[in-house]
Amino acid sequence: MTQLTMAKSINEGLRRAMADDPKVLVMGEDIGKLGGVFRVTDGLLDQFGAQRVIDTPLAEAGIMGTAVGLAFRGFRPVVEIQFDGFVYPAFDQIVCQVAKLHYRTRGNVKMPITIRIPWAGGVGAAEHHSESPEAYFVHTSGLRVVAVSNPQDAYVMLRQAIASNDPVVYFEPKRLYHQKGEVDLDVDLADAPPMGLARIAREGTDVTLLTYGAQVSTAMDAAIAAEDDGVSIEVIDLRSISPVDYRTVAASVRKTGRVVVTHEAAREAGVGAELVASVTEQCFDYLEAPPVRVTGHDIPYPPAKLEKHHLPDLDRILDAVDRVLDRPNSLTGVEV
Amino acid sequence: MVQDFRLPDLGEGLPEAELVQWLVAEGDTVTLNQTIAEVETAKAVVELPSPHAGKVTALHAKAGDVIEVGSVLISFEVAGVEPEAPAPQSTAQAASAEPADAAAEDKAQPNLVGYGAAPRGAGRPQRRARAGARPPAGIDTAVLEAAPHDVIHTQEPAEPLRERPRSTPPVRKLAKELGVDLALVEASGATGLITRADVETYAARIRSVDEAVAPPAASPTADAGDRVTRVPIRGVRKHTADAMVRSAFTAPHVTTFHTVDVTATSELIASLRADRALEGHRIGVMAVAAKAVCLALMRHPSLNSRWDADNAEIVQHHYVNLGIAAATERGLVVPNIRDADRMSLVELADAIGELAQVARAGKTAPAQMSGGTFSITNVGVFGVDAGTPILNPGEAGILALGAVRRQPWEHRGEIALRDVMTLSLSFDHRLVDGEQGARFLREVADILREPGRAMLLR
Amino acid sequence: MMHTLTPTADPATDVDDVARLLTPDGERIADHDLDPWVDDIDAEALRGLYRDMTLVRRIDTEGIALQRQGQLGLWAPCRGQEATQVGTARAFRADDFVFPSYREIGVNFVRGAVASDFVLAWRGEAHSTFNPYDINTATPQIIIGAQVLHAVGYAMGITLDGTDQVAAAYFGDGATSQGDVNEAMVFASSFRAPVVFLCTNNQWAISEPVTVQAKFPIAGRAPGFGIPSLRVDGNDVLACLAAMRWATDHARRGNGPAFIEAVTYRMGPHTTSDDPTRYRDKDEVERWRRRDPLARVEALLRGQSEFSEEFERDVAAEADRWGADVRSACLSARTKEPIEVFDHVYDEPHVGLESQRAQFAAYLEGFTSAELSTGSDAAVGGTTR
Repeated sequence: MTQLTMAKSINEGLRRAMADDPKVLVMGEDIGKLGGVFRVTDGLLDQFGAQRVIDTPLAEAGIMGTAVGLAFRGFRPVVEIQFDGFVYPAFDQIVCQVAKLHYRTRGNVKMPITIRIPWAGGVGAAEHHSESPEAYFVHTSGLRVVAVSNPQDAYVMLRQAIASNDPVVYFEPKRLYHQKGEVDLDVDLADAPPMGLARIAREGTDVTLLTYGAQVSTAMDAAIAAEDDGVSIEVIDLRSISPVDYRTVAASVRKTGRVVVTHEAAREAGVGAELVASVTEQCFDYLEAPPVRVTGHDIPYPPAKLEKHHLPDLDRILDAVDRVLDRPNSLTGVEV
Repeated sequence: MVQDFRLPDLGEGLPEAELVQWLVAEGDTVTLNQTIAEVETAKAVVELPSPHAGKVTALHAKAGDVIEVGSVLISFEVAGVEPEAPAPQSTAQAASAEPADAAAEDKAQPNLVGYGAAPRGAGRPQRRARAGARPPAGIDTAVLEAAPHDVIHTQEPAEPLRERPRSTPPVRKLAKELGVDLALVEASGATGLITRADVETYAARIRSVDEAVAPPAASPTADAGDRVTRVPIRGVRKHTADAMVRSAFTAPHVTTFHTVDVTATSELIASLRADRALEGHRIGVMAVAAKAVCLALMRHPSLNSRWDADNAEIVQHHYVNLGIAAATERGLVVPNIRDADRMSLVELADAIGELAQVARAGKTAPAQMSGGTFSITNVGVFGVDAGTPILNPGEAGILALGAVRRQPWEHRGEIALRDVMTLSLSFDHRLVDGEQGARFLREVADILREPGRAMLLR
Repeated sequence: MMHTLTPTADPATDVDDVARLLTPDGERIADHDLDPWVDDIDAEALRGLYRDMTLVRRIDTEGIALQRQGQLGLWAPCRGQEATQVGTARAFRADDFVFPSYREIGVNFVRGAVASDFVLAWRGEAHSTFNPYDINTATPQIIIGAQVLHAVGYAMGITLDGTDQVAAAYFGDGATSQGDVNEAMVFASSFRAPVVFLCTNNQWAISEPVTVQAKFPIAGRAPGFGIPSLRVDGNDVLACLAAMRWATDHARRGNGPAFIEAVTYRMGPHTTSDDPTRYRDKDEVERWRRRDPLARVEALLRGQSEFSEEFERDVAAEADRWGADVRSACLSARTKEPIEVFDHVYDEPHVGLESQRAQFAAYLEGFTSAELSTGSDAAVGGTTR
C-alpha cells in the first residue's frame, strides 16, 4: 500500500494499463509534453513515446472522432477532455458514434474507449471549468458512467474502465486531485470490487445518504456532524452512476426508511431525479418520508466567489436530513 | 391470381396522393417495375413502378382522384409463379435476413413498412388480450457471470437483512395517528405489506370501544331448544385471545412460586389508610406490590427487557411501564403505567386506581395498552392463591398476586395466624434464567414481608 | 511563401475545371498527371468498369422502385455518381479500410456488399447489415461528416501498427462545412495520417447548391491544411480511378493524407422523400444527363469496337439478376422479435439494461397473441412482413 494523491493514482492507473496492453493509447490536449494541465499524465510520454501518448490538436470533436477510428482499428484509446465544460463539442461523436456503434453494428464493432473528464467545482475556477454534465451521459444508452471519490477507487476503476470493452465516461473530481489516500497498486483487478458496485462509505441506521464523486467527502463530513444531533447517517458512494447498484441502495433504504440524495450537478433532471424515482419505485413501502435531493441550484455555475452558495454543503445536507426525519427546523424540500 | 396493389406511403408520413395520370390501361400487360402511374403527393410528383409482372385487371381510381395511402389502386393478374429463391447470402448477412416463407410472402399484399404514421386501424382503440402478468424471471446469471464490471447478486445474503416494517406512507400516517406501533401489527397479505385494514384491525382489537359492543346481531344467539350458544369472537376477547396465543407460543414460559408472610404490608396499608393526609388515595396491596416490583426490577434488568428477534437484540429498558391487568365486562385488558419506577407509592396507587376505573368504563386508549415492560395481575381478588400467568406479549415477566389469607405460619419461632400471600412469577426463559427469576421474586417478597427493607434500595 | 493570400479561382461552379481522361462524348484525352496511373486499363478492364457501373445503376433503380412500392421506407439514389464511386473504390486494396456516407452504393458494391446489404437498413430491419470487418468498410454513416474523423483515426492506427494500409472517407460537398470534416483535415495533416479524403461534389446538399457551402473550389481547401489535392471529373471513371490510385499511393508511401474532389451531379432527388423540381432547373439536369458516366464509356468502347452485342446482353442479364436478388432479399426479410431491440447495446452485460429486458420480456409473455394494440400507435410496426 502507498499513500498517493488522486492525480498520482490516476497516473499510475494509466501507466499500468499502458504497460499491460500495447493497444492502450492516451490522447488529449497538452497531455504529452506538459503531462496534462493537472499533471495527471506526467511522465507517460517519456515512458511510452509519442505514438502512444498523443498531444492532439485543439478540437474535442476531432479527438473523439479519431478515437472512434482508432477503436475501429483495434486500439483502446483513453481520451482526456481537458475540462468538463469542453466536452460539448465532442458530444455528437460521443452520443451518435461512441455510444451507438456497438448497437448499430450488432456487436461487430466495439468501442473500448475511456473518456476521462476532470470534473466539477469547488476549485475557484473561471467559467466553464466547474461543470457537472454527467446526466447527459447517464441518459445516453450504450455508455457506462463512473465517478470516483478517492485515490484507491480512482486507480482501480480507471483500470477497470480501460479493460472494459464498452465505452466508459470516467469523471475525476478535480477538487480531489491533491487529496491523499492509501492505494494498493498491486491489487488484482479480478479481486477488486466490480466497477458497478456501490460502496457503503459509512454505516448508519437513521438515514441513507446517496452520493458520488467529490460530494462523498462532504457527505461524510455531514454524517460526522450529525452525530451531535444523535442522528446516524449511512453514506453510500455510488461509484457507478450508469448502471447504479440498486441492490446495495435498496438494502440500505429498507433498513433506514429515509433517503437523501446529494450531488453538485443541478437539480432538474439530474442523476438525483433518477435515483429518487428508482428508489421510490423499489422501496415505496419502506419509506417513512419522501426522498429529498440536495443539489446545485438550477443556475449556470456561478462565479468563483459565489460557488460555495451553489455547492451543496454540510449544512444543506443536514437540513435535508432533518426534513426526512420530520424535524421542525428544516426547510429543505418545502414547496413555495 | 389477382393481386391488389395499395398506395404506399411515398415519403415519411404522407397520408394521401392525387392520381395525376395512368400510364397503363386495363388489359395491358406490364413488366416488373414498369411505370404504371404518376401520383402527386404534398412533396412531389412521383412515378409508381409496377410491383408485379402480369396483366392489369382493374384500375381503382381515375385521374384527378385523391387516394388515401393504403387503399387499393390497381389490380393485376399475376401468373401463379413461385417467387425466385432468395439470393444466396454471404455468411456476413446470415444473421440479418433469414428467408422466411417466401412463397407466402410473395403472394402477400405489398404492405406498408411503417414509416411515418400509417393509417389508423379501423375501429375503437383496444388493448391486446392478455393471459395475465407473470413476474419477470431473474436476470440470467450465466449472462451476468460474463461481466467483469457489474455486480452479480446471485445469492441471497447469508444473514437476514434488518428491515423496517413495510407499509405505505398514508398507512404509516394512520398508524401514527392511532398510536399504533407498526412493528406489532401483523400484515394480512402474503407479501408482508401492512395495509390500512391491518392497522385498523389491530387498533380495533386493542381498543375497548363501543363498536365492539354487539348490536343484536352480535349477541349470543340462543334459539329455543338449542344445545349450544354461539358467541362471535370479536372485540376485546379476540384481542386478548390473540395476544395469549402469541405470547404462549413464542416465549418459553417458566413459572416460579413463593409464599410470603405479608402481615407487615397489611399493617402498613391499614396505617396509611388511617392517615388523614392520605385521604382520597386508595393504597392497597396492589400498590405496594407494584412499588416492590419497580424497585426490584431496577436491580434485575433481565425481567425488564424485550426479545427483539427482528434486530437480533435484547432490549433492556431503563424505565418501567407497569402493566396492570384489569378485568372488565368485555374481558381482560392490560393497560400500563408509564414510568412507574419514578412514582412514589401514593402516585402508583392513584395511577392504579385511575387505570382500573378507566378500564371498567371501557375507555382505555390503545396507546395505553402498548409499550408495557412488566405486568402485575391480581388473581387474589377471585379467591385463588396462585396461577401460571401468561406473559403480556413483548414482556419478560408477569407477577400474579394471590389472595391474602389468614393462615397459620411460622412467626418468631411459634405458630401464629398471619396474612399470607402466594406470588407467582412467570418469565420468558429466553431472557431470564432460573436464578434471576428466583432472586427477583425473593426480592419482591422480601419487601412485602418487611416493607421497611425498601429503604435499603434506591 | 505568400504573405497575402487572395482566392482567385472562380467559385466551385466551374465544373469543367477538372482533370479528365474521358470526355462526355467518349473521347479519350491525355492528362499528364493522371495517365500513368491507368496505363494498365485495357478494353477488358474498361468493360469491367462499365459492368460494375451498370450493376450499381441497376441496384439503385431497384431500390427506388422498391421504395415506391412501399417495401422500403427510404432510398438515397446515387444515379449519376457511378463513376466516382466505382472508379475510386476500384483503387483500394482489400485490406484498406473505407468509411462511406449513406449514398455510396457503388463503393459498397465494389468492396463486396451483397444484395441484402443494400436494402435491409432502408427497410428498417436493422441499422446496419454487413460486418464492417468482413469487407473492411464501415457502416454507411448518417451523421454528416462524422465518418471523416473515423477514417483519420483509423489511419493513425495504421501508422501505429507500422503497416501500409490506407483509410479513406467519402463525404459530400455539404459535409465540407461541418466542423468534423475540417477537424479531420487538421488531425490528418498533423499526424501525417495515411488517409484519403474523397469529396463527392454532386452540386447539391438537399436543396442547397454548393455555392452555399463553398466560395472557392473545395479541392482548394486541402492545401490550406497542408494536404495535396486533386480535382477530377467525377463522371469520368478513368480519371476517378487514376486519382484514387495516386492518392492511395501517396498515403501508402508514408507521405500523409491526400484529397480528391470528384465533380459530378446528383441526378435524382436527395432521397425518395425529396422533390428536386422545387429548387432545381430542369435544364441543368438535362445538361448533366448529356455528361452521363456510363454513356461515355460505352461510346469509347463502341468506338474501339470493344462493345459487342454479347457483352451488352450479358451485362443486362447480370444487372437483371442483381435487381431480382435485391428485390428478393428485401421482400423476404425477417423482422426481428420485439425483445431483440435490447440486443447489442453493450458488449458486457449491464445490470440496469438486463433488468429492463427481463421486465419487458415478462410483459410480452403476458399477451395471448402477437398482434399489437389498435389505436394511433398501431402504425409503429403494424403487421408487416
